[in-house]
Amino acid sequence: MRVLGIDTSGYANAVGVVDGERVLADFVFQTRNESLSQIMLNVDSVLRETGLGLEDIEGFGTGLGPGSWTGIRIGVTVGKMLAYGTGKPVRGISTLEALAYRALDCGRLICSIVDAGARETIYAAFYRGGNNEVHQAGDYYVGDLTGLAGLIKEPTILVAADVQKYQKAIGQLIESNAIEALESAPSGATVALLAAAHLQSGEHDDTLALAPLYLKESTARAFVNKYKRRAQATP
Amino acid sequence: MLVLGIETSCDETSAALVADGRAVLSNVIANQLDLHRKYGGVVPEIAARRHTELIGYVINEALDVGGKTLRDVEAVAVTARQGLVGSLVVGAAAAKTLSYVLRVPLVGVHHIEGHIFANLLSHPDIPLPHVCLTVSGGHTMLVYVKGYCQYELLGGTVDDAAGEAFDKIAKFLDLGFPGGPAIDRLAAKGDRKAFAFPRPLSRARTFYFSFSGLKTAVINAFKDQLASGEALPLEDIAASFQEAVVDVLVAKTVRAARQIGVSVISVTGGVSANRRLREAFTDTGNAEGIKVYFPDLSLCTDNAAMIAAAGHARLMRGQVDDLSLDVIPNVPLEVQHAG
Repeated sequence: MRVLGIDTSGYANAVGVVDGERVLADFVFQTRNESLSQIMLNVDSVLRETGLGLEDIEGFGTGLGPGSWTGIRIGVTVGKMLAYGTGKPVRGISTLEALAYRALDCGRLICSIVDAGARETIYAAFYRGGNNEVHQAGDYYVGDLTGLAGLIKEPTILVAADVQKYQKAIGQLIESNAIEALESAPSGATVALLAAAHLQSGEHDDTLALAPLYLKESTARAFVNKYKRRAQATP
Repeated sequence: MLVLGIETSCDETSAALVADGRAVLSNVIANQLDLHRKYGGVVPEIAARRHTELIGYVINEALDVGGKTLRDVEAVAVTARQGLVGSLVVGAAAAKTLSYVLRVPLVGVHHIEGHIFANLLSHPDIPLPHVCLTVSGGHTMLVYVKGYCQYELLGGTVDDAAGEAFDKIAKFLDLGFPGGPAIDRLAAKGDRKAFAFPRPLSRARTFYFSFSGLKTAVINAFKDQLASGEALPLEDIAASFQEAVVDVLVAKTVRAARQIGVSVISVTGGVSANRRLREAFTDTGNAEGIKVYFPDLSLCTDNAAMIAAAGHARLMRGQVDDLSLDVIPNVPLEVQHAG
């Protein structure tokens, strides 16, 4: 099954195409603040690279985040509209799961981490790999590195962009050398591989209902509370 | 030409089908008022999240109601300029993707240009050139409409938009959100001459507006009244405040029309639904020999039909955007599409 995958949860457009378990293309375009303006051009250029047309694509995968809130809204909306416009199925994939999948066969607990953009805050989740799948172990984590380090009780591999800073900090916090690290950024092909596995089994998402994985609703509420306090102070 | 319009610049998620820039086949508007009401205003992050949830459903419903399928769509027009950036992004991402998938032209529209077209949609015979006042919760803008897609910005607000002043006073008086309709209702029962509130910049030669000082004057009057121990005539405060806003809007717009030498005024935007504003504009227009046009009530607040109509006009003039279209939260109307 030919699947196009995108992930715009960071400051990049990650776009890839797979055919079943075979990766046909996997590109990461550094876009910074031009994620919106570049995304369709990048999708088009990756398709051209594979020699395929949009009509050859049988399904779509889209990274749901967590990550930049505007970034994941772009990726989810583009993924949703690609599926809606072509009438093909779509499957949303957690960006943390896609990162963990890169360490699939490491034989230890996998901890994928995404920078939340706000001071000291990270998004993370633990996974166990095997049988060409990763399974999430426990809930998503939103908080600081100290809190995350407290959750690590066994040999673990960290998967993240700029992973060495996390490895160093967590290694100091739990005084352990049992922390390995794998440098990895969101990948369109990985999102497509994971989506293809689901889509081949008929497990697709409700296209129109596809929604980002923010994980940080609490910050939105905190913002609202601040807004309310300010409004009360100066009518 | 069947144009799919998409509008997500603030807190309304809207999609519409408009044929040949004239016939509105559908105009679906999902407003988020319930979501924002408890905060007394639009919270940008909450609005952006809601747009993302709703955009697919709203586009799908616009096609259903219009009795068309995606394959019938011949162009996509989207609000790409002026608004909340996080909100604009969602509509633009959807529009770009559909333009790519359907292989149809894409055109980005300035939100205020959409409002100008709300009246062209409601009154296809509205004469050009004319002076257009757009008044809403986010905008107060006076534009000389020389012809289709030819504009000259005459003035805007230096602080609050007119609708924003309504919202803030309504919030202060605890009347709810949005403030416009609440004040409109309350003011109908009050004496609009009870309080002599200032008419900021109404005699100034500039076509710029300011409503911040008026807001303070209303709040001070309210507090004085409270301190004096007298009964609080909320209806009178609302009516007098509304009258001050209306006076300024009418005076400046009529003066602009006279100075330019046109005898047609178009009033658009959410505040153009205000009953007193319509009455005062019509009365003054009659006295001055100026014809004043207001959009149908369904086209006053933010909607995608007006965006589709504006997009159609741009496409007819050969203006198309490519897939690199980006959103710009704050940009004057007249500099877009230079050349």
